[in-house]
Amino acid sequence: MFNVDITGEYIAFFIFAVIIIAGAVLMISLEKVVHMVISMAAAFLGLAGMYVLLDAEFVAFVQVLIYAGAVSILMIFGIMMTKHNGEAVETAKPLHETLAAVGALCLFGLLFYSIRTADFQSAGAFDPGQDNTLAIGEQLFTGYIVPFELLSILLTVAFIGAIALAKKEAD
Amino acid sequence: MGAWLNEPLTWGSALILFLWAALFLLIVLGFVTYAIYYERKVIGWMQLRIGPNRVGPLGLFQTVADIFKLLIKEDTIPRKADRLLFIIAPALAFIPSFTVLAVIPYTEKLYFADLNVGLLYYVALSGITTLAMVLGGWASNNKYALLGGMRSAAQMISYEVPLVISIVGVILLSGSLNLRDIVAAQDGGWFWNWNLFPQIIGFIVFFIAAVSELNRTPFDLPEAESELVAGYHVEYSGFRFAFFMLAEYVYVYAIAALTTVLFLGGWHAPAPFLDFVPGIIWFLLKFAFIVFSLFWIRATFPRVRVDQLMSLGWKVLLPVALLNVFLTALYLELFVK
Repeated sequence: MFNVDITGEYIAFFIFAVIIIAGAVLMISLEKVVHMVISMAAAFLGLAGMYVLLDAEFVAFVQVLIYAGAVSILMIFGIMMTKHNGEAVETAKPLHETLAAVGALCLFGLLFYSIRTADFQSAGAFDPGQDNTLAIGEQLFTGYIVPFELLSILLTVAFIGAIALAKKEAD
Repeated sequence: MGAWLNEPLTWGSALILFLWAALFLLIVLGFVTYAIYYERKVIGWMQLRIGPNRVGPLGLFQTVADIFKLLIKEDTIPRKADRLLFIIAPALAFIPSFTVLAVIPYTEKLYFADLNVGLLYYVALSGITTLAMVLGGWASNNKYALLGGMRSAAQMISYEVPLVISIVGVILLSGSLNLRDIVAAQDGGWFWNWNLFPQIIGFIVFFIAAVSELNRTPFDLPEAESELVAGYHVEYSGFRFAFFMLAEYVYVYAIAALTTVLFLGGWHAPAPFLDFVPGIIWFLLKFAFIVFSLFWIRATFPRVRVDQLMSLGWKVLLPVALLNVFLTALYLELFVK
């Protein structure tokens, strides 16, 4: 059933997978908000490692730059500005938790079963190309130029909107 | 180095790569030790003092003694600090500073990683150190440390934007994010082929933003000792404090090497008849000059105010960097194509 060779890539995959899952689980289960952001940053870094394994180094380092760096710092910045002394401790709800656990296990079983039984078409050898950064750039500025520019306009509008909202509240 | 990097990874080659990394770490530590000594000497001379001259001949062992003192100091962790983050933060600050050095090429043959997106790798990983500084400041549970951490985050985010955009001109000229290709693109024999002259606007923006990223005077607000006691590392002592300082000086190394590679032609000689001097000597000379300039700036400039800092970053450097990208693109479109 588990017919895989133990290669360096396989080991690296498992290390990154453990980082991502541990980060995601800790993100939910930790109590202090700053700790949550750190575990989320760890999950982002693990994802970047996955992209490197997939030969997508441009996406990988953009992931580190934007998510692990900028977004995490921004969130910590926001959190520090607010006071978080009395984090509410939720009362345990046994029935609710049991049902949630059963549901999660069922979902896992379903996904695991369908992935194991699925018949993947072997989709030819993947060609990472010489310079995928160049390829991404060319795609963005030729075939996808309109969506790309629209997206940047959307971000600018959101940015200006946020400033306008914040200004209104400050006045 | 290239031959080893492209071999399949066996235990033997992994050991060789590990030993190279360890040797490189020792070289970097040696650089940091003597950069601190040299900085104190240079600033001393500029202020008509002698500088350290007691420990060893010419004071050469002063930094060694200082580091030894730091290592044997009592390691204190404030009782109300967030223990785990307080311990992690110094390591988290240092690790990216050392890993970014992997992509710097020293000569045509001597480099540690031939990465396709080298420049992006540098910029992305150096952002993690900011996270560590903020965390260190927050975990200390001290208002001065928190203020220092906040300032450092605000400053480093604001200046990372012009820093990255000022490099875009260089990337446009050389058509690659690979630092080796960027140096190769500056090969014309003469010094005016270096990116310094066609990219003079980019270079000025880059250098100002780099000094700011390093948290050095005139932009050392995160550790302004007269306002914040010491900044984000006020609660740190001994070994952990040494790690923060180490990270800062390793970034001096990294920025000086990056400036050399991006703007000063890396290992290329300034004139064709000087080609007989090996490339590594040219690299080291340019590198040493940049490091000296950083100390020079520290000795001669007053600190800027925090509000001036932000408006300089966003209202001056960013538009100038964007203008530089526009001019470079226009030049390439009109004259090169």
